[in-house]
Amino acid sequence: MKKLVESSGVEVAFKEVDVVTTGTFGAMCSSGAVINLGHSDPPIKIDHAWINDVEVCHPGAAVDIFIGATNMSEKQPFEYGGGHVISDLVAGKEVEFRATAYGTDCYPRTQVKTTLTKDDLNQFCLLNFRNGYQRYNCAVNSSDETIYTYMSKLLPRFRNATFSGAGELNPLMNDPDYETMGLGTRIFLGGGQGYIIGEGTQHSPKNQNGTLMVKGDAKQMTPEFLQGAAFTKYGTSLYVGLGVPIPILNIGLAKKTAIRDSEIFTDIVDYSVPRRDRPKLGQVSYKELKSGSIIINGKKVRVSSLSSLKMAKKVAQTLKSWIEEGTFTLTSPVERLSTTSVFRPMRQTEEIPFVVSVMHPAVTCTEDEEIRAIAERIVTKSVNHIVVVDATGKLRGIVTSWDITRAMAEGKKALADIESRNVITAKPDEPLEIASKRMAQHNISALPVIDIERKVLGIITTEDVAKLLGRRY
Amino acid sequence: MGRILIRFNEEQVSEPIASQVIIEYKVPMAILSAHINSKGGEILVEIPDDAEDTIVEALRKRGVTVSVPKSIEVDSEKCFSCGSCVALCPVEAIRLTSDSSVEFDKEKCLGSTCSICVDACPARAIKAVKPNGNGSPNSREKKS
Repeated sequence: MKKLVESSGVEVAFKEVDVVTTGTFGAMCSSGAVINLGHSDPPIKIDHAWINDVEVCHPGAAVDIFIGATNMSEKQPFEYGGGHVISDLVAGKEVEFRATAYGTDCYPRTQVKTTLTKDDLNQFCLLNFRNGYQRYNCAVNSSDETIYTYMSKLLPRFRNATFSGAGELNPLMNDPDYETMGLGTRIFLGGGQGYIIGEGTQHSPKNQNGTLMVKGDAKQMTPEFLQGAAFTKYGTSLYVGLGVPIPILNIGLAKKTAIRDSEIFTDIVDYSVPRRDRPKLGQVSYKELKSGSIIINGKKVRVSSLSSLKMAKKVAQTLKSWIEEGTFTLTSPVERLSTTSVFRPMRQTEEIPFVVSVMHPAVTCTEDEEIRAIAERIVTKSVNHIVVVDATGKLRGIVTSWDITRAMAEGKKALADIESRNVITAKPDEPLEIASKRMAQHNISALPVIDIERKVLGIITTEDVAKLLGRRY
Repeated sequence: MGRILIRFNEEQVSEPIASQVIIEYKVPMAILSAHINSKGGEILVEIPDDAEDTIVEALRKRGVTVSVPKSIEVDSEKCFSCGSCVALCPVEAIRLTSDSSVEFDKEKCLGSTCSICVDACPARAIKAVKPNGNGSPNSREKKS
């Protein structure tokens, strides 16, 4: 479609093409499965249950359970989880089920243990609250340490970037006004056929962040298009293959489905800032993202995808072949997806303190100053830490009253001999709890607060934290 | 060309051991990666195959630990070509082909001395494997 519109124009493409198939294959954490096990004898009303040591919850009555993709195994946390259980069941593997209950007159049994395959289940329904994000952030890490996120491993100081999403192949991106999608739209789901059952959670159409809620019979699905995944230090997830057919009902849809990666932009987001609104460092197109490198602050940064473009193409191609063979028929939605929903942040009745709320101006010195002058400053300002800065106010090091005492005892004269250059720092918008933990971890009593260019903004000390806690409790 | 991993302890690290061996045997060594400070460390070097035995012996005689690094293997059954590993690789041993498949070049790979990609694989398809073929998942902590 895209090539046809480019070569022959929208009019021709509209006449020639009936349906455009789309596809995506990415980690979709808000996925899960509803299972009905049938009754045991004597019957049990499940209170707690596990499959392959992954806790599953009981959303309904006695023997209905829900497997969440991100729930982790109690024996192999971070390596095996709900996503893997779903994938194993779909693959026909035998899983171990156990449950406990408090026992009632009608459901007397208090525990049960058995093995199961998908053939033993009454219903095995994939039920995903939020799939197929229209587009997603490009993630980077400005800090000095490697961080592990749901956007995978992010190396320090922008040494890599990650992104997710199929770009021009994404279902929602090809029908951005959701003309053909909504409750009842039949789709490709996990290698089988499923349905859109409404807008996904966090659906945010106004800024091109639409999502889908979908369901389908997991017994018909294939493990190739539903794969369990493990993200180090984040947890487990499920890669889901999802494809939506878009009937070209009008010339507008012919034009919209011709969208290219170069026209789809997303934000570059700094994941080292542990806040809801993380700093955005610019915008980048999916064309640039798929090229393997992007430019951040004038520097080339290599970028990797987390979702599989190869599998996304396979989803779209498989769906196309089903339609051509006549084994998949298109449906029109009973109710279209909302174009006005708004994704709001959580209402919080209790605010947590941040570094910026307790930091105070730092007492500073420069490297050319004499130790004696610094010692005097420690006394007159009655502080324990002096932050060493350069002429532009950027962090160079830190000197403590202990360092000065030691210099006196050992007869050292030069600041360079006693200052610590490898300074552990804090950022103003970090939660205070995280900064406090860092002080405890490194056994230190103060952190200079710096901005992204390493300019010193202030300092926080263990005393500040103690004072704040004193006020609160 | 063969690859060997040379480990130095705190006493050895200040000695020019590798240089002495290079000069004495007139064998070129290409340093592929080095993680060294005053406490010791390791370097991964590439040497011509015919000189491998001589060099390994000469290095061992000087007291340093010499081993063959584990290689990285990709389980193509498990890999679904997401490509998470591509941008992490410092030597561009992993790339995406024109059909978006992940392609791994074992020749370029630094092996277990790097392992940066291992814990970033959501499919857990990448493992450090001993040269004799014994799999040893999660055998090393990541190094970055």
